Amino acid sequence: MGKITGFLEIEREDRDYQPVAERITHWHEFVLPLPEKDVREQAARCMDCGVPYCHGTSRITGAPTGCPVNNQIPDWNDLVYRGNWDEAARNLHSTNNFPEVTGRVCPAPCEASCTLNIDENPVAIKTIECEIADRAIAHGLKPEKPHRKTGKKIAIVGSGPAGLACAQQLARAGHDVHVYERWAKAGGLLRYGIPDFKMEKVHVDRRVAQMQAEGVVFHYNADVGVNVPADKLVKDHDAVVLTGGSEKPRDLPIPGRELKGIHFAMDFLPQQNRRVSNEPQGDVAPILATGKKVVVIGGGDTGSDCIGTSIRQKAASVTNFEILPQPPEHENKMLTWPDWPLKLRISSSHEEGVTREFAVLTQKFTGERGQVKNLHCVHVDEKFKPLPGTEFVIDTDLVLLAMGFVHPLHEGMLKSLNIALDQRGNVSADTTAYQTSLPNVFAAGDMRRGQSLVVWAIREGRQAAHAVDKFLMGATTLPR
Amino acid sequence: MAQLIFDLKNVNPAGDVSVKLVSEVGVGTVAAGVSKARADHVTIAGFEGGTGASPLTSIKHAGSPWEIGLAETHQTLVINRLRGRISVQVDGGIRTGRDVVVGALLGADEFGFATAPLIAAGCIMMRKCHLNTCPVGVATQDPVLRKRFKGQPEHVINYFFFVAEEVRELMAELGFRTFDEMVGQMQMLDRRKLVEHWKAKGLDFSKLFTKPPAAKDTAIYRCEVQDHKIKDILDRKLIAQSQSALDRGAPVRLQAAIRNTDRACGGMLSGEVAKRYGHEGLPHDTIHVRFAGTAGQSFGAWLARGITFELDGDANDYVGKGLSGGRLVIRPPADSGIVPEESIIVGNTVLYGAIEGECYFRGVAGERFAVRNSGAVAVIEGAGDHCCEYMTGGVVVVLGRTGRNFAAGMSGGIAYVLDDDNTFKSRCNMAMVELEPVPDEEHVAEQEFGVDLESHGRVDVMSDLTVKDAERLNLLISNHARYTGSKRAAEILANWNHYRPLFRKVMPVEYRRALAEMAKEKAATMQAAE
Repeated sequence: MGKITGFLEIEREDRDYQPVAERITHWHEFVLPLPEKDVREQAARCMDCGVPYCHGTSRITGAPTGCPVNNQIPDWNDLVYRGNWDEAARNLHSTNNFPEVTGRVCPAPCEASCTLNIDENPVAIKTIECEIADRAIAHGLKPEKPHRKTGKKIAIVGSGPAGLACAQQLARAGHDVHVYERWAKAGGLLRYGIPDFKMEKVHVDRRVAQMQAEGVVFHYNADVGVNVPADKLVKDHDAVVLTGGSEKPRDLPIPGRELKGIHFAMDFLPQQNRRVSNEPQGDVAPILATGKKVVVIGGGDTGSDCIGTSIRQKAASVTNFEILPQPPEHENKMLTWPDWPLKLRISSSHEEGVTREFAVLTQKFTGERGQVKNLHCVHVDEKFKPLPGTEFVIDTDLVLLAMGFVHPLHEGMLKSLNIALDQRGNVSADTTAYQTSLPNVFAAGDMRRGQSLVVWAIREGRQAAHAVDKFLMGATTLPR
Repeated sequence: MAQLIFDLKNVNPAGDVSVKLVSEVGVGTVAAGVSKARADHVTIAGFEGGTGASPLTSIKHAGSPWEIGLAETHQTLVINRLRGRISVQVDGGIRTGRDVVVGALLGADEFGFATAPLIAAGCIMMRKCHLNTCPVGVATQDPVLRKRFKGQPEHVINYFFFVAEEVRELMAELGFRTFDEMVGQMQMLDRRKLVEHWKAKGLDFSKLFTKPPAAKDTAIYRCEVQDHKIKDILDRKLIAQSQSALDRGAPVRLQAAIRNTDRACGGMLSGEVAKRYGHEGLPHDTIHVRFAGTAGQSFGAWLARGITFELDGDANDYVGKGLSGGRLVIRPPADSGIVPEESIIVGNTVLYGAIEGECYFRGVAGERFAVRNSGAVAVIEGAGDHCCEYMTGGVVVVLGRTGRNFAAGMSGGIAYVLDDDNTFKSRCNMAMVELEPVPDEEHVAEQEFGVDLESHGRVDVMSDLTVKDAERLNLLISNHARYTGSKRAAEILANWNHYRPLFRKVMPVEYRRALAEMAKEKAATMQAAE
């Protein structure tokens, strides 16, 4: 704790955004960093709590409060306050492989659990994290090559945040790590899901280069279970880690679903990301919101990304429906702290021009000549029962379904491996051994736990790496 | 211990006296002594729990579990038929109803909770209690932070309801109808998980669960009260005779004979004064008692402002313990054949923890004179070893030879010692103090002989301890001569110019620094005011 009374003297100050009119004209990040002096002042607000709820090591209800990767937040807050950026970066990287990613796209459960959040504004932890990471990167990311090789060969299927974190940890432990990626480039949702305006892809490229220097081999366009036989992969490697994500989108099986112009968010978003980075689209028809009346169904983060992308594609209008009732603007902190509160969240995309409606159920699509033209909706109560007399119809040219993901794709790899699934259709494995029903096959990230945050994926990737290293070597020094 | 408990009971007969013991092997013997010494409670403190501000090393690595100390305490007390008259309490990380029941079965009547109710009231274990930055306003007096305190009494009440509910459920399961039935029934504890645990291999737990043999009429829980023996003490008579002073502040002058079985004389009387007038007490000399004889231990303990005790005779240990503004004068009887300046007149550990008041003893004190004195003024004619030990304030004048280790750990206050053979330095512990001469000041007015300390003279020379050493010393010796008729004092005063340079002023180094800083601050504020 750099300054004992910092929290009493300094107000929270956070990064600003470019004005809406400016930021919707391009695909770049639009968050304006704080000057160094301000970041260090913000770090002085940290109180170095005796029981740091932001650490992710305390439990009040079921889940740990705060950071899922157990970032040692008070420690590096103090280092930042004292201007010791190098040591802060070392500390931060000891728990988090990709802090520049979480510093941009994490919803920051740490800040929700910050002691200052009880009746004030929390420490700007995410901003400080991002600044530490960006400074470390500006000084050049150095590969951390293993001192000796173990001779063990490990395959990692899927190069999202879980797969990358797992691969980096295992490579640093001296294993030969091969990452199999279905698409042309590594990153998974980091590359194809999160729009460039929230996180530019140079961050992923940099980490991939670092990992290649650490000995990780990437195999692109390698769809395990389709063009790479899954059983052969298992046979050829000492261990296989499945980090393929939770890709099966939740559908809306109502009349008219077959009409043209109704797409899953994850058909729409990757196209734009490829467009920005000049990656060939392959054999698909373009989905563009330009000039269209767009309706986004689903009020979560994916829906929010669809909104921001549609607006940048110059949609005529964007409407967003959410089936849950509108949550309160401010949570009751006496009840929620230090857990993640349910409250109305306004993302940067929401500020860019969207009509949001809550408690809306879409009952029917209708169209002309096979193209969707109308949504027939109704308002619902808290149990999703339609309220009579609240029916309405809305014009549309493009409907984007962003209602979450139910489980990993079963077709292909999982089927051909004949691996055990849990009740929700995720790959069955616990959070200690991360071992699936096949002895040398492990699963982590969304593929194991279902759809979740990037930071949870990093946690699972790291913990799975610990488990795999222990499984192969009998003991491990990798952190959990 | 018995004396201390007796003293405390005297000053506040309505209060329970609790003795807290650290849980460890052998604590049972100590607890038996505590029960015999007539404490109302004995608390066995375990190693769990812990104050927010205490260092982690202490929280993790000091002490032993309360179960060990509690079991031994209960068993020892029962075997020695000392259990019924004392409440056995236990604390240290007591949180749940189960903790309470386990404690009761091992022999506790009462339970100390701290951390858990604190958390119910809003503490979030910041461990910043010592920094005055408690962000939830629990451990702070800062009004800005206190605004953040969200605790309600109901939160704590609610917590204890849950504890009580769990206790009730467990008692029902065990088949107990009243809590008292449950105390000391250690055979009801299921110990398999403990004893059969692999880590417990080689450990013998049988003593922990031994039920002590007790005759039918031997109490195994608290069901009696201690007899504190304060029903017909000397103070009761003094209080009765001082009623007009206590009620209206009308001065009274009393006379009483005293014997060495009259202990803590003045304690209960001072308690009565404090009950009515607080620490302010009464005007000086309102209650004036002249005793004759040999006083028992703790003569003049807690003596309140407004009470003067004069004793023609001598006194035992602990004279003026916790002196709180009263005046004590002890001198040998006029017809005594002893040489006062060579004879012990008061025992050991006189003025222990005194905070305010005056003492004049015509004679030599025992060891540890004025230990932990923080504000009283005393004049004696000689002292034993360790005089002024751990003193933090006040003034001590010694008109004769001292023992060794003078001023050990003395961090405040001033002592003036007559050093006529120039050997004092060899008997003074110089770790924290320096010796200075008493400087010559031209106008030590002879006429101050006879000026009362509480008059203008006192305010002048006692309020600023950085100056007027000679005046102060002269005044105190004058008082001594007047109150006790000391020949020694009279001789010094008569030959002041000869004796003054022979005095050594004992000044704690840190105390001088603190006084200088305070003076500077005061000057600055006065300048600012102008």
